Amino acid sequence: MAGSHSDPLAHPEVRQGGALRYIAGFISTVALMGAAMVVTLRHDLAYSSFVELVGGLAFLALLSQAVLYYGLDISRSQIWKSVSLILTVPLFIITVGLTVWMFQSLDQRTMLMPTTLQQPTLLQ
Amino acid sequence: MAHQAAPGAGTRLFHPGFEGHSQISARTLGFWLYMLSDALLFTALFAAYAVLDTPMNAAGGPIASQIVNPIEGFWQTIAILASVTCYSLATVAMKNGNRAGTALGIIAAMVLAVVFLAFGFNDLATLTAHGNGLGRSGYLSAYFVLILTHAVHMLIGILWMLVMLVQIPRYGFNEMVVARMLNLRMFWQFQATVWVCVYIYVYMIGA
Repeated sequence: MAGSHSDPLAHPEVRQGGALRYIAGFISTVALMGAAMVVTLRHDLAYSSFVELVGGLAFLALLSQAVLYYGLDISRSQIWKSVSLILTVPLFIITVGLTVWMFQSLDQRTMLMPTTLQQPTLLQ
Repeated sequence: MAHQAAPGAGTRLFHPGFEGHSQISARTLGFWLYMLSDALLFTALFAAYAVLDTPMNAAGGPIASQIVNPIEGFWQTIAILASVTCYSLATVAMKNGNRAGTALGIIAAMVLAVVFLAFGFNDLATLTAHGNGLGRSGYLSAYFVLILTHAVHMLIGILWMLVMLVQIPRYGFNEMVVARMLNLRMFWQFQATVWVCVYIYVYMIGA
């Protein structure tokens, strides 16, 4: 943690903000989401390839936000935010991943339904 | 090894006035940790959505591809990202000690947030008007709860901005106001992060 400052506006977390960085964050995220939307509307990829591509674009957008919006890095004022996020991300993945996996197993064993009702989703 | 006095009755583990402590850093780190726990709330909602996003859980009602529009969602994405950028630019104005610029950025962020919410509430109201409300199916319950939880966060953010619009002219950029502005910046950026996940998962993979 950074030391105290008599002038709050001299604090490192105030000083780290920059107009160019925020505008770059806006442009990069909009561009990545726009690319994902185009991929979605074209409907010319297999479902698994489509999920991988759109997921990759989402990852890049989130990475862009982490760096350009939140300003996460390994500087003295930001290191513990970066570390806590890195330690928490596996919890996100475990929560969603294990839930989907458990219900996928349950679905396959107990929810027998006509083929006509089936469509590709993450659960199937 | 240097001699150190043994801890005793006079030992103070924490002193708020000690120059090694930074109130702003302590507040922003604490709020950041709160936001990570808030993110786990959304993670649980995404997990529930993933489980309920099947035709069987739609119970004869609409599924994602029938109720979401990626193009309309893209306009919402632009609105929320522009709102976040405006608020972030307000903190740049704060860095320069510019109160008017800070207020202007906050007001722009609020207007764009209202535009974002108007899109969202219009979608939900249209669905409900057609008999596809919150209780229609398990899928729609998950969809409504996910969207509404994010909307409630947005409304809290707008309320927080209104408070800051009062506090900035009243108290100036003192330590508490600056810490609140920084925390609100993280909170507001977090809403854009959640929306990116919603847009990708619900509006794109669902489409």
